[in-house]
Amino acid sequence: MSKSLAERLGPLLVIIGLFLVWQAVGMMIGEDYFPTPIALIPAMRTLLSDGDIWGDLGHSLWRLAMGFLLAIVTAAPLGIVAGRSKAVRDFITPLLSLFYPIPKAALIPIFMLWFGAGDLSKILIIYLSVTLPIVYHGQQGARSVDDKLIWSAQAMGTGRLGLLLRVVLPAALPELLLGVRVALVIGLIVMITSEMIVRQNGLGYYLFNSMDMAQYKLTYLVIVIVGALGLVLDFGFELIRQRLTFWSPRQREPMVTEA
Amino acid sequence: MASGIVASDSPLPAGEAGFPPMIELKAVSKSYVRTGKGGTVLALDAITARIGDGEFVSIVGPSGCGKSTLLYIVGGFVPATSGQIVVQGKPITGPGPDRGPVFQEFALFPWKTVRENIRFGLTEQKVPRAEADARVDELLDLVHLRKYADLYPKELSGGMKQRVAIARTLAYRPRTLLMDEPFGALDAHTRALLQDELLQIWERERKTVLFITHGVDEAVYLSDRVLVMSAAPGSLKADIRIDLPRPRRREELLLNRRYQELVIEIGRMMDNRH
Repeated sequence: MSKSLAERLGPLLVIIGLFLVWQAVGMMIGEDYFPTPIALIPAMRTLLSDGDIWGDLGHSLWRLAMGFLLAIVTAAPLGIVAGRSKAVRDFITPLLSLFYPIPKAALIPIFMLWFGAGDLSKILIIYLSVTLPIVYHGQQGARSVDDKLIWSAQAMGTGRLGLLLRVVLPAALPELLLGVRVALVIGLIVMITSEMIVRQNGLGYYLFNSMDMAQYKLTYLVIVIVGALGLVLDFGFELIRQRLTFWSPRQREPMVTEA
Repeated sequence: MASGIVASDSPLPAGEAGFPPMIELKAVSKSYVRTGKGGTVLALDAITARIGDGEFVSIVGPSGCGKSTLLYIVGGFVPATSGQIVVQGKPITGPGPDRGPVFQEFALFPWKTVRENIRFGLTEQKVPRAEADARVDELLDLVHLRKYADLYPKELSGGMKQRVAIARTLAYRPRTLLMDEPFGALDAHTRALLQDELLQIWERERKTVLFITHGVDEAVYLSDRVLVMSAAPGSLKADIRIDLPRPRRREELLLNRRYQELVIEIGRMMDNRH
């Protein structure tokens, strides 16, 4: 399906507009506290060539990936099974209700106490935060699978495991992946937060460090980088999601833009 | 009762028209627990019937009479509260490839192409690859969908979807077809087309068919026997033999006096509220 030029350029124009407003406001307030995007360009050049930031970006992404993969491997199957088994659902529903509203960042001090100030506690806190939406949406998806799809497969002799793998999982995939997308954004937030609290390395650490050293231009740059990272990850995931669920009649329009 | 139609409270014994029994419903009842209020509602009240091997039997009744539920029970998808379903002499314990369902909502696997949908049951039944491929091709031809073999369900019209669903069920050769208002979601033209195609397939393969519908003309056109159900709680009200010659042709039948009488008579029974 082709889109009109205006539709394609729309998101780009909004972003350009945002930068223009930023530039104007920065020029009015004064660059000491609110550097303009143009003033940031040379700073960006030194930041990217200096190399420090790449290491921190790598550390951040590594922890996000680990927490995220761990969650997909454990939470997706749990959600799918919970959607089809009342016993499992009755067991995890109170746990979900209990943990869902707790701001996960509040648990970071305890995790530091238990697992130290290294990668482990940060990976675990990311894992915990992204687990919940994946379990929740996986369960919703698995629960709402049309009975008649299940019955059709049962009549063909599909057993319990086959039903979960070959009918329930694919049928629940669109909803499950919606949960994974929510989880990705939450994971990014928790990644940055945990690095701000446990200051060791990573983008969150770099951000606060530049504040401490009054390198405000760097602070703004890191914020831009974190924002861009979020956009790129979300867009990349959206491409994967569409490729996996193109068959779905309820395929929703992506939020950012379309491939 | 008008014009010599056999209608009785107890169904005719099986074998009367030369069909050995395929499916026996023995005092099948179903009740639901009322959510919130407590207590139970009786949905099906001691249904007893026999369906012969190779017989085409329709169940008609007002909406909400539990006729679909009865079919789900025969399929083994939903348990009966009491009573028994006996298929070829053995009480059923769940779904099985001897009873292939076709649903009004098609229930195709949306992530699979037409070809993959039809193949699903063959793969599940571990049919050897070459044999399965040949069978799928055969069915694609049977339901006139070879050109559309690689499309996904969301790209198909309602009539095409139901053709795929029928082919998917026929693929694994169930002895009995359980059809739950299969043409109910289609427009009149497509419905007539699919009725004719179903009849042709049935004439050739002589499968046992249990066909749920609220369309009296459809039931009379297709069936050897029509069972009429009364509304809540659903019970069998009449068992009517459709003594029209086969093979049936729609144009001839519409002018056939006997056909007209049967449609009118069964229609009247459905209107009565007892």
